[in-house]
Formats: sequence, C-alpha cells, structure tokens
Amino acid sequence: MFSTSSQRKFWTFSDENELACHREKHNLEFISRHGQNLDEQQRYNYFLSPEEERLLLKQYELHLKEFCKRFQPPMPKGVIGTAFHYFKRFYLYNSSMDYHPKEILATCVYLACKVEEFNVSIGQFVANIKGDREKASDIILNNELLLMQQLNYHLTVHNPFRPVEGFLIDIKTRCSLANPERLCSGIDEFLEKVFLTDACLLYAPSQIALAAVLHAASKEQENLDSYVTDMLFRDAGPDKLAILIEAVRKIRSMVKMVESPARERVRAIEKKLDRCRNQENNPDSEIYKQRIREALDEDDVQYTGTSRMSLDTSGVTQVLSPSAS
Amino acid sequence: MNRDITSYSIVGRIGEGAHGLVFKANHLPTGREVALKKILIKNIDEGIPVNVMREIKALQLLRCKYVIKLYDMFPRGMSLVLVLEYMSSGLWDMLHHRQQELTLPRVKAYAQMLLKGTRYMHAHYVMHRDLKPANLLINHEGVLKIADLGLARLFWPDGGRPYSHQVATRWYRAPELLYGARYYTENVDVWAVGCIIAEMITKKPLFAGESDIEQLAIVVQHLGTPTEDLWPDHSNLPDYHKITFPECPPMSWTEILPGVEPDAVNFIKSFLLYDEKKRISAKEALRHSWFRTKPTPTNLEDMPRPLLNTKR
Repeated sequence: MFSTSSQRKFWTFSDENELACHREKHNLEFISRHGQNLDEQQRYNYFLSPEEERLLLKQYELHLKEFCKRFQPPMPKGVIGTAFHYFKRFYLYNSSMDYHPKEILATCVYLACKVEEFNVSIGQFVANIKGDREKASDIILNNELLLMQQLNYHLTVHNPFRPVEGFLIDIKTRCSLANPERLCSGIDEFLEKVFLTDACLLYAPSQIALAAVLHAASKEQENLDSYVTDMLFRDAGPDKLAILIEAVRKIRSMVKMVESPARERVRAIEKKLDRCRNQENNPDSEIYKQRIREALDEDDVQYTGTSRMSLDTSGVTQVLSPSAS
Repeated sequence: MNRDITSYSIVGRIGEGAHGLVFKANHLPTGREVALKKILIKNIDEGIPVNVMREIKALQLLRCKYVIKLYDMFPRGMSLVLVLEYMSSGLWDMLHHRQQELTLPRVKAYAQMLLKGTRYMHAHYVMHRDLKPANLLINHEGVLKIADLGLARLFWPDGGRPYSHQVATRWYRAPELLYGARYYTENVDVWAVGCIIAEMITKKPLFAGESDIEQLAIVVQHLGTPTEDLWPDHSNLPDYHKITFPECPPMSWTEILPGVEPDAVNFIKSFLLYDEKKRISAKEALRHSWFRTKPTPTNLEDMPRPLLNTKR
C-alpha cells in the first residue's frame, strides 16, 4: 500500500523547492570537494552549475524513455516507471559529476527489470545497448549495489498504472461516460510525459493517475468533474477535495511545461562533464579499475578465509573486520 | 554508528545458504543479536540474484511477529550483507533432534504461529512458495517465524500472470506444481502448511518422494486418481499427460494418518485437497475447532526455548 510505503515516507517531498535544495547541496559539495585549488571563476568554468546538471539530467531522462521504448523484448510500463523513480531518486542525493548519468541510467533500468519481475538476462539486456556490450555489462553490474545503497534499499515503487486501471473500472461502473476506453491513449501519453517531470517525487501515484484520467477526458471534450466531486470525494469533505484539485492542477501544468533541452547547450555540458567528472568513478580510469580489483580481492580474502571457518570461528571476526583487509 | 560491518562483532558462522554464508553477530550500538547473511555477487552471473531481490522486497513489506525481520543491509566488497533477526533454532531441528518435546499442545501452538504468519503474508499478497520445516525458525522466546523468502513473490488476486512451477521443496510441493502449473495461487502454501502440521503430529514427513515423479505417485496413491469432480481441469495441466499412474481409489484419511485423533485428521485433510480452490485458507484454519478442543495450544511461556548458544 502506498500509504504505508517507503515511497511515501522517504521519497515524496513537500515541494519543488525541497528537491532543488537537495540537488544544489550535492552539486556544491562536489565542487568544494574537488575544486579546492580553484578560485570562484575557475570553478564556474570548470564544474557544472546546478542548472547545468538539471538540463543534463533532463536530457538523460529523455534517453531513458527512448531506451525503454525501444527495448527488446518490449518492456512493461511498470518497469519504465520504476526505472524513472530510481533515476530521479539517485540524483537527489548525488551529483552527475560524481556518477555519469549514462551509466546510472542503464543500471536503473536493469534493477527495475529485476524488481518488477521482468526477467531478462544481462546478455539480453545489453543487446539493447550500442557500443561495447561487455563493458556495458561490467558497468551495470558494478553499479548495481551502489544504486541499491543510494536508494536506501527502497526497491518497491508504486506507479500510477494500477490506480489508472482502478479509475477506469470505477468509471465504467459508476459513471455515465460513454466508451471509457477512448481515454486510454490520452492517459498513456500523459503518463509518458509525467515521468519527465518531478511529479512522482511530489505526488501520490493515485493523484498522478487521476490527473492523467482527467486530462484524457478533457482532450475528448468530456468532463469528469462530477465523478470526482460526487463519487470519489462525496464523503471526504471539502478540504481534501481542495487538496486534490490543487494537486491535479499542478501535475497537469508540470506536464504542459515539459520541453527538451536545447541540443547545443547539452553538448557543451557533456563536454564540460567529460573533464570535471570524478575520475574515481569513471570506468575508463586507472583509479577506477584499481578500486574494482580491490573490492574483488576483499571478497576473495573473505572467501578463502571463511571456507576454513568450520574449524576456527575466531577467524571470522578478523576476516570480516576492515582492519584485516 | 556506521551502517557497515564496523557496527557488528561476529560471533560465529551459523550456516551456509544458496548464495553465501550466514554469521551470527552482535550489533554493537544496540547489543542486539543478528544473523548476517552475506550474499556474494559474482559479475559473471546476473548481478544481485533475483531471489535475493524478492526476499528483500518481501521482507520490507511484511511486518509481522511470525515473519523474520530484515533490520538493515549494506554492501561489503562485492557482497551484499543482509542483517536479519537472529533465530537460535528451527522446526527442522525440533523434528529431528528434540522430538519428545514436540507434544500435541505445542504442535498446536506452532501450527497457530505458522498459520498466523501465512495469513499475514497472504493478506499482503505475498506467497512464500517454499514453506517447509527448515524454513521455519524458532527464537529463544519460543516464537516460530517464517524465514527464507527467496522464492516469495507478490501475486495478483486476479491470477492473470504465469509463475514458475519450479518452486517449493519436493515433499511440500502442491500437486498442481508437480503437474507443472504456471498459473497457481497462494494456496500452494496452504498445501505445504498441511504437510507440515501432519509431520509435526506424526513426526514423519507426510509425502516423502525421492524424485518428482515418485512424489506425484505418492500423492496420487494416497488421495486417489484425480477425477474431474475432485479436481476440475486437472487434465489441462502442462505435465498431466506426460505421466500416468495406475488407477487407484483414495485411501481413507485414518489410513493415511493412523492413530491421529479425528479432529486433527479433519483439520489436516482440509489443507490437502487436489482442488486448490477448496483448500482451507490460513484465516479459516485459525478458526478451526482443533485449536479449541483439548489439549489446547501451549502458552508461549511453556514453549521450548532453544538455548542461546545452540546452532540452528
């Protein structure tokens, strides 16, 4: 249930300001960590500004949508929605300069496939990626645990798709609207766009679903206002209705404002990112390769150590404690 | 304190799971005993195993006294460590090493705890798919909890999605799974619970096949050749026509469970029906008269308490 979920408790924020604060904080932290020897002007020229990060991530959300749309075998909507949630959650607490969005994007989709029980093998998965597939699969698998950790292991996502189905069934049975199926294409279109906004970090899936239904109805020149006021909210009281109306209005206006970032701008930002990204997390860097090797070694040590465990339990403490590694 | 290994002191190794080792540890900030399940993630595989993902998802959703708790998790090198509630013993151990302590009133108490956990899971649309004595753990207060949710998954009440039939340990596997059903329900757990309760009473596994085919043969031998009446649509199951057994009538339940009192026999047979739709639900089972007839279930304070330092 959404009302008792980690999504509501930890990943639904009060307003756009709060989101901007989180993102800015991690942008500034990255710059102060990596720009110690630079003055203000140099920092500005070298690092991405919070605004540049936003634009870049918006571009990558478009890539995410395209990637999922073209994915073979065709991907259920729930996987796409969950992948979007993961991507947005990740960059609330991380800077794109620390972790390149192209790498996180693929990892988000891969994790979403597993969590949503859309079972594809890593081989099948990377067949959808252009370029070096072996490298892609290494990057995804190396990032999977990081992503889970950054999501605070909150894997279950509540998407608006099921509430939409619920509303449609309800409308069919309790509402005089003729042929409710004609709303479907409008709903799908709306939900596709809604994931390009921050709505899923601000509103409940059922609110987003209702916004989609109402939007699709108005496109069909139908009006479902009385369904909302007389059926859904008949006993809920005027306060709750007012909150919902405001939420629906806001979600619809967010969707209306969706636009693609200018290509030139994004290209310039990508160039900047190639230079200022954290090399420790760049799979092509020596320092990254070294770190991965160490992580693997750490495990080897534990494994050979633990196979002796049945005889000597005192060793476990040593093997598992960081002082030993 | 950090959310990593430095917050724990390892006490010893307690087991080896499908994906790695399990350690007993103390959580230093709280002094709480925990089990650390270390899952090695090998890149040559598929990253974090789907089973582990399912277990995490299910445990995060379920908050019930009769389902094991997941406190936390953290990465460690290329492994993921799950921090689970520590359980000192289990029903498997009770059945194999401490049989004399498993008196009828205690069996009823364990059955009640198992059914409460199952009722809770099913109310949250989770089917466990691998209930068996080895997955039912007992803590030092004597509370039985359902563990190992690596095969657990969410189900859809409308039953519209196919699932894998390669689930559940053979002895406790429902007949529809044995015949390769891909569309099944949470009632596969109900079958397993029936087998477990029977085993607690008689101290012997109810249907102990040594292969999948023998398993099916034993079930058919006991419950009789399925008929359209007993089990509608059974002949449409994927593997139904791959194997036939000699026609046989159902055995009487007093033969299947010799020496077991009639109320218990009545109770057990309501779980072990071919037609999953007719099986009793966990919720209904908890209201069964068996729990009210004497001897009534033992109170928790009189349940066996595994010693703090025994291995599971």
